[in-house]
Amino acid sequence: MIELLKLCGFEADEAESELPRMEKAFNKLGITAEDIGRAKQRLTKYYDIELKGVRKLLRLLVQDIVNSVLAREEGKTKIIYGFMSPGWTPFVSALVSKSKEVHATYLCPQFQIVVGGIFNKMVPILEAAEKRWLKAGAVTHCSNVKSLVGLFALDLIPKPDLLITSGLLCETAPKTTDLLHELYNIPTYSINTCHDREYSEYPAATKRIVGLAAQSLRRLTERVQEAVGFEITGDMLREEIDASSELARALSKLDSLIESSDPLPVSANHQILWRFLGLLPLSTDSMADAIDAINTLYEELQERVDKGLGVVEKGTPRILALLPPSHVDPRPDHLVSELGMAIVASDFGCLASDVGIPQDPYEIVALQALQDSPFHSLRRRIPLIIELCKRLNIDGVIDRFHIGCRTVVGDALLIKEAITKELGIPVLLLERDDFDPRPYNHEQYKRRLEVFKTMLSREHKRSMT
Amino acid sequence: MWEERLAMHLRDRPAQLREAKDKGVKIIGYFPGNYVPEELIYASGAVPICLAHGGGPHPADAALSVVPHLICPFARAQIREKLLKRNPYYSMIDMLVAPITCVHLRKVAEIWEYYGDIEIFKLGIPHQYGGDFELEYYADRLRALKDRLQAFTGNEITSERISRAIGLYNRMRELLKKISLIRRTTSPPLSSLDFVRLNHASFYADPAFMVDVLESVYQELTRKQQVTKANTPRLLLIGPNIGYGDYRVLELVKEAGGEIVIEEVCEGIRYYWQAIENKGDLFHSLAKGYLRDRVPCAFMRGSAKKRLDFALKLVKDFNVSGIIWYELLNCETYDSESYFFAQKMLERNIPMLILESNYGAADAGQLKTRIEAFVEMVRGGIE
Repeated sequence: MIELLKLCGFEADEAESELPRMEKAFNKLGITAEDIGRAKQRLTKYYDIELKGVRKLLRLLVQDIVNSVLAREEGKTKIIYGFMSPGWTPFVSALVSKSKEVHATYLCPQFQIVVGGIFNKMVPILEAAEKRWLKAGAVTHCSNVKSLVGLFALDLIPKPDLLITSGLLCETAPKTTDLLHELYNIPTYSINTCHDREYSEYPAATKRIVGLAAQSLRRLTERVQEAVGFEITGDMLREEIDASSELARALSKLDSLIESSDPLPVSANHQILWRFLGLLPLSTDSMADAIDAINTLYEELQERVDKGLGVVEKGTPRILALLPPSHVDPRPDHLVSELGMAIVASDFGCLASDVGIPQDPYEIVALQALQDSPFHSLRRRIPLIIELCKRLNIDGVIDRFHIGCRTVVGDALLIKEAITKELGIPVLLLERDDFDPRPYNHEQYKRRLEVFKTMLSREHKRSMT
Repeated sequence: MWEERLAMHLRDRPAQLREAKDKGVKIIGYFPGNYVPEELIYASGAVPICLAHGGGPHPADAALSVVPHLICPFARAQIREKLLKRNPYYSMIDMLVAPITCVHLRKVAEIWEYYGDIEIFKLGIPHQYGGDFELEYYADRLRALKDRLQAFTGNEITSERISRAIGLYNRMRELLKKISLIRRTTSPPLSSLDFVRLNHASFYADPAFMVDVLESVYQELTRKQQVTKANTPRLLLIGPNIGYGDYRVLELVKEAGGEIVIEEVCEGIRYYWQAIENKGDLFHSLAKGYLRDRVPCAFMRGSAKKRLDFALKLVKDFNVSGIIWYELLNCETYDSESYFFAQKMLERNIPMLILESNYGAADAGQLKTRIEAFVEMVRGGIE
């Protein structure tokens, strides 16, 4: 266990002192000695753990899991979770900074990345949800909501005093929390959003829906205050927004480095390690750790870039991937690099800044949550993706659409049609489940990527001549 | 008598609408779910047409060139009609009002918008609907719809015109409710299939004509002699959707000897339970009636318990002895709720059959067997 903790960025003395907590939490999660052995192998095989920045990111994830699993028994009197509600993070950061009695976190990326991606133990959690109301089969429920229900069903994390979600992409998250409320008596809140922006009425429509979400966030503040027993002011929220902007700048710098690199300095499966950071409620201390992890990774990757080192050869086809890497399985995105393709960016994080930054802190939070590519309607999302392809000089697009998400599923075929027509570059559609490793078929995936690479090479030759 | 009148009207309706269109009248389509107040469209001098086709002999597969199979068959059917251009109603509309309801229908609206060949108005529905600001958001969207309709039709929408339209549609809702309530009697004089067809007709027919027909239907049904069939299982149908043409389950239940006496269905059935208040700020009245004062659909926040309570009331009021839960494939919200409802119905000893449809004919035999077995089981319980 100590060895694993070191691989995950814990210093020797910290690993020793944290060991009892770690063992207690891992036992609760059903992690066995065999699982630890497998985790070490997977870490070595799929993650660049010689990079200190990667190890530091893993440490933050592991810490958050342990803190969550042990929250009640370690005396946290109030627990608040966010789930598929990225706009709420500053509220909870404010809480964490204010009180040591409160444990707040954002579910379930940390469990998916560590329990799934590293230990390969996500399946029992998903199966537990499937035995409740999220049945397996043709209906194709989102495995992200299965992860949440499975964690509660197996009693792996304590029941919260408030569970916050939103309908940012779908109704499945609020429906799940609705049923968690009815069947498990968990208090819930859903942030209101409305996807009624017409293409012709940007940017006025953005202001309109930001206004609705901001009002809903104000009401959320009241609910959170009721739950924790102290006041959250607009000033506190503004302070947290300012504090998190430093992290956002560090993340943006890292993204820019990867986008412009040739060769790619780290394989795409690592991107999930820092994508989650923007979602996690961070106290002052953990914010500093997060920024340090990102800056460390940036410096290490910059050094690789300066030396011309990469995980693929120089001149490798540049790929834009839609949606983030798999949360539970490093293999598919690692394979892309192994086959000699460089995923340099994702449209998750491709923002449409069509309105100025508002003054009201609630509107700032709402705007941040609503401007990401998948939250726009198809007709707006397509030009955003095309512009991104042009800006980054992309050779091909992989739309790894998550089958449990009707929003991205519904966009996939027409995005392909539009990119092919407008840019003439190959687009590969990959149906996959971002939160469930079971449907992944390595050989089939490999064959499709190989064919895609052949298409990329052909297009590349054609453009050269 | 009314059957003939209605059939003739529906037969001639596309031609009538084409003629009106030639004279400059706008035909405005909207998706079902009962979040689009037809009153506003009617008050603009345009003709409202609810685009509710789904099911029937035409599979929704024609849409698979645009969306994968993971989108529900009703939503796919709306894309299919757009692509195939064979359905006269879908082909003749000048503008679409798309309520932002579930993610499946939202995608349909986005795809129609993507093709960009007709004007689209996206009507935002706040899915969390309890707060005043949410009601106001929806009311504001209705005001924006009014402005768009005025600009599009060139007709001013006055309060008087809205009020007259509310009066007309309230009468239609009232009649549908009265007809539906007749089915509380031991042996309903009107089958579920007939009622749903009548309801669907109201989406396409001229509303004033339809009110007249419904008056006749009501008069006739109240005169009909009731025949007591004590051992016929009385069933409640719950589901997201019955599309125009999606009548297979209704037919199979009838053939199996069961009787669906009431439908708790969101899409494809006009919401007739409540009237719209026809005074004061009419946009506020419409917002209240269409958003807040109704039983929420499954995609709305916190709707499961409210719909369960409503279903239990229907079970009691309509003397129901079994439930048919009819969901469409890939509808995550209804599929999730089916577990909750089944558990709650089991606690009350009310049998519930869960059926799933992809509109294809492939599962016809299996559906028939399951429905027959269920009806027998419920009948056994009665005896």
